[in-house]
Amino acid sequence: MKKEVGIKKKEPGIFNLLGPYMGMVTLLILLALFSNGLNLWLPKIIGNGIDAYSHGTFQLTPILIKFTAAVVAVLLFTYLQNIIQVYVSEKVARNLRTKISDKISGQSYDWIEKANPSRLLTNLTADVDSIKLFVSMAVVSLASSIFIIFGASILLITINWKLALAVIASLPIIGITFFLVLRKVRALFIKSREIMDWLNKVINESILGAALIRVINSQQLEYAKFLDANTRAMNFGLSIIRLFAGLIPVITFTANMAGLTILVLGGHFVINGSMSLGDFAAFNSYLSLLIFPILVLGFMSNIIAQATASYQRISAVINMPDAIASGDITTPIRGDIDFKDVTVNYGQKPVLKSVSFSVKAGAKIAVIGPTAAGKTQLLYLLTGLIKPTTGTVSIDGHAVEAYNSEAFHSQVGFVFQDSIMFNMSIRENIAFNDTVTDASLEKAMATAELKDFVTALPEQLDTIVSERGTSLSGGQKQRIMLARALAINPEILLLDDFTARVDSNTERKILANVQENYPGITLLSVTQKIASVEHYDQIILLMQGEVIASGTHAELMHSSPEYNQIFNSQQSTSNYELQS
Amino acid sequence: MNYNLNKFTGKEQKTSNYSAFKNLLQLISHEKRNLAVALIAILLNSTLNLLGPFLIGHTIDKYVQHKQYHGVLVFAGILLGMYLVALFTSFFQTKLMGGVGQRTLFTLRNAVFSKIQQLPVAFFNQNKAGDLISRVNNDTDKLNQFFSQSLMQFIGNIATMVGAGIFLLLINYKIGIAALAPAVLILIFTRVLSPWVKRKNAANLKTVGGMSAEIQESLSNFKVIIAFNRRDYFRKRFDEANVKNYNSAIGAGLANNVFLPFYGMCGSIAQLLVLTGGIYLITQGQFSIGLLVSYLAYATYFYNPLRQLATLWANFQVAMAGWDRISEILALESDLVTIAAPNTVIAPALLEFRDVHFGYPEGREILHNISLTLEQSKTYALVGPTGGGKTTTASLIARLYDPTKGTILLNGKDIRAYDAAERSQKIGFILQEPFLFTGTVKENILYGNELYKDYSHEQLAAVIKEANLEKLLAIFENGLETGVVSGGDSVSLGQKQLIAFMRAVLRKPDILILDEATANIDTITEQLLGEILEKLPAKTTRVIIAHRLNTIENADEIFFVNSGEVTRAGSLQNAMEKLLHGVRMS
Repeated sequence: MKKEVGIKKKEPGIFNLLGPYMGMVTLLILLALFSNGLNLWLPKIIGNGIDAYSHGTFQLTPILIKFTAAVVAVLLFTYLQNIIQVYVSEKVARNLRTKISDKISGQSYDWIEKANPSRLLTNLTADVDSIKLFVSMAVVSLASSIFIIFGASILLITINWKLALAVIASLPIIGITFFLVLRKVRALFIKSREIMDWLNKVINESILGAALIRVINSQQLEYAKFLDANTRAMNFGLSIIRLFAGLIPVITFTANMAGLTILVLGGHFVINGSMSLGDFAAFNSYLSLLIFPILVLGFMSNIIAQATASYQRISAVINMPDAIASGDITTPIRGDIDFKDVTVNYGQKPVLKSVSFSVKAGAKIAVIGPTAAGKTQLLYLLTGLIKPTTGTVSIDGHAVEAYNSEAFHSQVGFVFQDSIMFNMSIRENIAFNDTVTDASLEKAMATAELKDFVTALPEQLDTIVSERGTSLSGGQKQRIMLARALAINPEILLLDDFTARVDSNTERKILANVQENYPGITLLSVTQKIASVEHYDQIILLMQGEVIASGTHAELMHSSPEYNQIFNSQQSTSNYELQS
Repeated sequence: MNYNLNKFTGKEQKTSNYSAFKNLLQLISHEKRNLAVALIAILLNSTLNLLGPFLIGHTIDKYVQHKQYHGVLVFAGILLGMYLVALFTSFFQTKLMGGVGQRTLFTLRNAVFSKIQQLPVAFFNQNKAGDLISRVNNDTDKLNQFFSQSLMQFIGNIATMVGAGIFLLLINYKIGIAALAPAVLILIFTRVLSPWVKRKNAANLKTVGGMSAEIQESLSNFKVIIAFNRRDYFRKRFDEANVKNYNSAIGAGLANNVFLPFYGMCGSIAQLLVLTGGIYLITQGQFSIGLLVSYLAYATYFYNPLRQLATLWANFQVAMAGWDRISEILALESDLVTIAAPNTVIAPALLEFRDVHFGYPEGREILHNISLTLEQSKTYALVGPTGGGKTTTASLIARLYDPTKGTILLNGKDIRAYDAAERSQKIGFILQEPFLFTGTVKENILYGNELYKDYSHEQLAAVIKEANLEKLLAIFENGLETGVVSGGDSVSLGQKQLIAFMRAVLRKPDILILDEATANIDTITEQLLGEILEKLPAKTTRVIIAHRLNTIENADEIFFVNSGEVTRAGSLQNAMEKLLHGVRMS
């Protein structure tokens, strides 16, 4: 049949999706066909009854028995079919989500930054939903509709082939209409999904920036942005509706024309005696059987088009190449760090320019420099979050990428500059890596000077941190993040502007604790305050992505005018220890 | 006030379908005309669809049986005309109802979004972003599906059914009653099971919201997940939400499918009843075969739409469950209302705290009995240990929250008596966590700035120069046109703080609060910021929260904030003493 071919040709992908569930889907289709076959039989029973009556051989009991048996069987089969249908569709959806989330979880940080989280959210929710709808409604409807159309057509042919052919001739018209409209609709669906991504982004930013919006009283502005996105979404919806408003009547009309053909031609046959009245009646009732599945195809086409668009988007994520597999070095890290001619570009813009320096295991290193000098990127390189565009970053003589990521990340602790809290208990936030033991948790908390704070909480370690950590102060979050990094007992500790939100008093205590509790640790600290790193083994001065100078405090004071300038800018305060 | 949407006791759920639906209809009352026209199209369409088999039956009885081909052709002509009309009514029906659906979705989303915009910060602290997104997007879409696809069929089917039912009764009331008897069973069945179906769907939508929240959180915290080698964490947490959703979705799916097979069975039983009853009546000479044939068709016309209604009714339950979740948001009211202006006292101070207490709902009191005054043109510093209440005090000045007890006066007038526009224009607040919108630096520093929004490039350059912000912009690669991504790492935290700083300064507030606003900015740039603050218009009052001393050493007065108490520290030296010997309480 033409339309069947037409639909299949356009989206091979979405039917491939069903591959792993073929057993279930086959069972499902069989059940559907069975109950549909029985449904086809019902009018036959009725028709036979009428014929029997006109021949005077009518007997109620056998009809009653046959009919009741068929009806009960249909009821059971449809319930069974529905149950399987729900399970299959939900399973497809669940596995698809797992597949996407596995793919996401294996990607690099760089990819996530670029992939637009709003879009991934739509992929995992709305896109998967439309595929679920396709499996739960369209697959069976499609199969049984095509079956009924086939079956009814064959029955029509057995009754009167000339009449039947006249009716079946209308099917290609329907098929072609479908083909033309669906092709247009699919493109619209893809675009409307993109608008959904945008809408999500606007909502997202208006929620995450809620405090700022209220401080500035810019709710109207946000509403205007939303209105813009929402209006566009509506307009796409309306254009899709217009297409379907054209499609459905054409299909109904074609089906009605088939009915009319039967009346005119069939009436002619009956009148000239080449067809019986009973056959004519049966022909009519089969025709009504034929029309309904055609209408169903019309409605399903909407779902199919949506699912195809969604599957296309999801495939783009699933078929992404995996992030490069991690290396296989699992040897314990000593902590020798070596940057050789490292350049990092973000797009066209270089953020680090041929940076070279090396650090001996157990040393304390500070990185100082103005805002946007590339300090954070330096640390990101050391955690493998980003990769050098050229040059190598190596630890103990091996490139960072050569390490097995599990082994590597369990030896390198990183305290991020921006507070990142999970909506879990404080315990889970600190013991974020699941290898953390109670003892190392205790030690980490003691080192980060968190014990007093946590014991003062009514639920102590089990206190749930709200999303975005709104219930904690900046300094508290910072110290929890430090404890998180220390809890893995790292060999290398990377601090990104840790001192920014922690007062000097506490900071000094914490750093002393680190020395005491984690002897031999290699410390690389990005900071603004010279006072707290004066005694470090090496201070690297980074400006606009380049290493301007490096050495001990005394050396830099002697050799670097830029360093002196920074030092002087802090002079008025360095005498004081201010607790905040 | 409790703003936690997932902690509602479910009293919303108890409202009947009818009253919930009525509320919903009120929201789209402006669609009345379209709905009316659509209704006419639907009724016309249904009538035409019903007349079809009647005319065919009539033609068979009158002309085919009596071998009058001319009559067959005449009626075929009539039918053709009808089908042509139906072509248009069907088109308008779909177009109008689809349009109503889309516009309803539009209206609903707007309503939810603008309601969210009216709610205070506390609402966002208590709800997860992902869940809110799910409510604005997913739940409203459930209603859209109902409106655009189901409602049209709903009305069409009911119209067809009612018509068919009337025909059935009119042609022969005895068989009519027999044919309609199974429908009573359907009615009872539906009434009994509907609340259960809706509950199942409500549970499912909730897990969808939960899953969305999970994705949102993990994706925005992805770098920690990588750095702590917890890619499995994302998978695990997501799997958990995924399985939860799977289970509830199966529950909802099974519930939604409970109607259809039963409806189908009732339809078949009706056919049998018509056949036996019809044949019986024919033997009695009260009925004809031709009538029986069309009667069977009418029974199909009655039960086929009913079968579709089974699915539609399930859709309706889904939509109502979604509507409940939306209503929960729409029913919230901000507790930060603008009150009528009380008698204004002659302002001795720009801002005054009078016996102010504050605590978050269900939490401990954070600020205890605070009284302080801020005068115009002065610089104040709030110092003290982390978690002592500095940010909370600042948030109260900006009225992000209201005190639980006591009053805050701005120019001698209760701060609650200012409308939001006036208040936000007087009070600038640089938040501890800078927030950027995706766009350019220019868009971000002019964000919400009524004064300069229409300025040309040259005018803007002049303004920036006048505010001494030129040097700060030099840090951005492409100056004002540098692109930034919200939540991304394309600009550093220090740069984000600079943008937030410029944004606040350009708004020229009377009071400018800086909450550790320069913590991640290098000390040389910070000096520059200090100079800019110095050069702010003379009337500006500055409130600085910081622990770097250089940012507060020029303060006229220092307040010491610790464990919810605010005390005057007197001189800088005095503050030092307090800080050095004070015990950190957190």
